[in-house]
Order: sequence, then structure tokens, then C-alpha cells
Amino acid sequence: MTELGYVADVAEREFRTVLRTPLLLAVGLGYVLLVGGIGWLGGTGAYLALVLDLLTPVELLVPVLSFAVGYRALLGDRESGELETIRTYPITGHWYVVGVYLGRAVVVLGLVLLSFVLAGSVVPTSDTAQLSVVASHPTADSPALYLRYALATALFALVALAIATLVSAAARSTRGGLALATGSVVALVVGLDSALLGAVTGEHVPTTVLALSPNSAYRSLVLELSVAPTGVAVPGGPTVLVSTAALCAWLTLALGLASRLAWR
Amino acid sequence: MSHSFDGLDVLGDVSFTLPGGTVACVVGPNGSGKTTLLRLVAGLLEPNVGAVSVAGDAGRRVGYLAQQPAFRRQFTVAETVAFYGSLVGESTDVDAVLDRVGLSAVADRRVDALSGGMRRLLGLAQAMVGDPSVFVLDEPATGLDPTMARHLRAVIDDLAADGDAVLLSTHDLHTVDRIADRVLLVDHGELVAAGPPAELLAESGATTLDDAIETLGHGGGTVGVSPGLRGGDRT
Repeated sequence: MTELGYVADVAEREFRTVLRTPLLLAVGLGYVLLVGGIGWLGGTGAYLALVLDLLTPVELLVPVLSFAVGYRALLGDRESGELETIRTYPITGHWYVVGVYLGRAVVVLGLVLLSFVLAGSVVPTSDTAQLSVVASHPTADSPALYLRYALATALFALVALAIATLVSAAARSTRGGLALATGSVVALVVGLDSALLGAVTGEHVPTTVLALSPNSAYRSLVLELSVAPTGVAVPGGPTVLVSTAALCAWLTLALGLASRLAWR
Repeated sequence: MSHSFDGLDVLGDVSFTLPGGTVACVVGPNGSGKTTLLRLVAGLLEPNVGAVSVAGDAGRRVGYLAQQPAFRRQFTVAETVAFYGSLVGESTDVDAVLDRVGLSAVADRRVDALSGGMRRLLGLAQAMVGDPSVFVLDEPATGLDPTMARHLRAVIDDLAADGDAVLLSTHDLHTVDRIADRVLLVDHGELVAAGPPAELLAESGATTLDDAIETLGHGGGTVGVSPGLRGGDRT
């Protein structure tokens, strides 16, 4: 059997597991309503203003959503003993982890994109003027800005889920998994970000190092792709290429490490 | 083969052959190394010294039933077996597998609605997926009511009749007495005796299997190991 065959079966099982877990569905629904609600409460008539309204909350909420969906993906089966049974089959840990990741990624991406559709629907239906303080020129605003923002956020969500999968592969108990997951979210959202921001305020430290933090890389990506093209001045940071490469590196390294730890 | 955890020897110099069509019961006190032995044969552990070789084609060669089989509660019995079937890459006749272990009537029941005994039978069904030639069953009869235990023994007999080798651990000497072609007595991480039950009885001078195991386990006898049970790989 080819690896792709069972990767698809493992992914389907993960997808259905999440859909059949009421708590995860509630978390997903909460995420969609929260992000959609922020968009609607802003009541903006411009995509650029909507991007700026959503940027910080989404940056905080996406890791929470990804960890909620992913942190027990491997840990749950290890604790129950089912992972041990699966290991007696002629499959490799590497491809099994890929399947687990893909199945849960479909759920996370679906929720992230759904929340953007809900939040984005406020712009064409808004009665307010299509101008805002930041998007002061109507030709500068475009749905393309919002689409780029959604794609950047999708990549960020995939990175956060990969790190959650790594936590799930490394943890050996529910308590350890919770501690690792919480620590990782805090480190991602606050710790690493703050440390790097503190570092670049010093002299001789290039702002490119911000790409070392997934959150900073994501933020820089959004500012470069969705804000800077309108002419609005954005803080200096890594380029689009560097930010994208950094996020892809985080994703690859986290999944690679998870696949090594899962079978141990 | 030998195995140790963190420098502590838990299994030392164990060697045996298990021909196809044989049911071998691993017995011994708690902590004697039974589960470690089974996990080594199932490929879940790598021996520090020695090797396990299994005859057969590529694919799934060892079917394994854990001591406490667990499956995702969100899925039905049939879905669970179908998933494991997908891991071996062959089309698995889910109905036939469930029929063989007696779970056809609950095929559409969710795993979390199964009794402990039924879950164990589902574990056995899972072990059959991929048609392995060797079965490793860790205390399969524990917690089963007499009817289910009888059914389980019948399934194990069927597997042996089909030419498969079955290696199982148990504390239930009634089960040993009923189904074992061979007994492997493990004590303090060593294989202290091995052979057909009648041979163990004769060589220990005991009248019951319980007494024979008690005697041999404490080094009270020097039962010879049957030809083919030592000094070779399991095939």
C-alpha cells in the first residue's frame, strides 16, 4: 500500500473525530462567532480597516484554536493505548503523523476561513461610508487585501497546529500535555514575541530576526501584504519572503520533530 | 533475546520457537516479564540482545491484542475495524471479521457503548485484520464472563486450526488447561520452563498445572525444555 493511501485514511479519521467531539465543535463555533463578531461590531465599511481590527485578536485566538484542536491528537491515543496497537501495523510514524496533522488541519482551516467569511461579509453590507481613518482613499481598499490577510492567517494557523501536534507527540500525560500546550501558547503569543521585539529595539539588531517568532513573522506578513500596499506606513520588519520562509520552516521543523517523537 | 529498561534486566536470554498451528500460553507471576516478552514479539520493543524473526510475507505479520484494548469512542465497531483494515492496504471484509469474533450484532454500536468484554473482542477483531500469521494476545480472557471466555477460546482454537501461531499471556490456568499446546513459564525475567502441559506435569511430579507452575517457578524442578522450544527463533 502506498503511504498516500493510509495517510488519507488517517486524515479522514482525524477529521471525523473532531467533528464528533462536541467540546471541539463548541470551541470551533466560539472561535467563528468571536472573530465574526469582532468584525461586525467594528461595523467598518473598508477591508483595510477590517484587517486592522482583526489583526491582534486573530493573532491571539488562532494559536488557542489550533492547540485546542491539536494538542490531544497523538497524546489521547497514547494515553488510551491505541497508539501502541497502531504501531503494530506496517506503517511508519512519519506518515501517520502527517495523516493526523492533515485531518485536523482541514478542520482548523475550515474554521479560520469561515470566520473570515463571516467577518468579511460586514464590508459589502455596511451602511457606513467606504472610507475610514486609515483607508482614506477609496481606491486603496480592495477585497484582495482581505484575501491576502486570510491566506496569511491560514498559513499561521497551520504553523500553530504543527506546533500543537509536536506538543501532542512530546507529552506523555494529560497534565504534561496541558502544561506544554499552555506554555507553548503563552510562549508563542507573548514570550518569544516580546523577547524579539525587545532585542530589535537595541542597536545593531536587524528587524529580520523578528521572523524567528511565528507571531512576529505572521504580523509582518500581514502588514506587508495587506496594509503596506495601501500606502499606510508600517513598522520595519522581515520581508514577505523571509516571513513566509520562517513560517514554513516552523511548520516543517515542528512536524518533523513530532514524527520522530510520536512512535517513541 | 534479552531486554532491559534503564539498565534493569527485565528479560534475559529467552529463546523459543513457536510453530504455526500452536497455542502457547505464557504464565508467571506479576512482574515476571510476561508483557515485556509479548511486546518484544509484537515488535513494540526492540530486544537489547537477540532478535525476533517471524515467518511470512510482507504486510502485517503479527496481530496484537493489548492488555487493555482501547479505541476511539467516537466511532462504531464496524468503522473501527474498517479503519484498521485501511492501515494494511487490503480490502478487509469487516462483516466477516466481526462475525468471526461474534460482534456482528453490535457492528453499528459506538465503541463507548460496548462492555469491557465486547471491547476485548473488538481488540481481537482488530488483531485479525491483515491476516497475520502470528497472534500475540496479552491476557485476552481477563474480565470476560464465562460465555465470552468460552467464545474467545473457540476463536483462538480456530486461529490455530488455520495454521496461525498464538502466543498469549494469562493468569487463568483454566484457560491454559483448555487451549494451551505449550506453556512458557516466565519467572524473574527468565524462561524457567517450557513444554506441553502434560510434560510439565510429568516432569514436576505435580498433579495440577497450578502446582507444577508453583514448583517450577521456584526452581524446584529441572524440567527439560521440549525440543524446538529452545535455541531457535520463533517461526
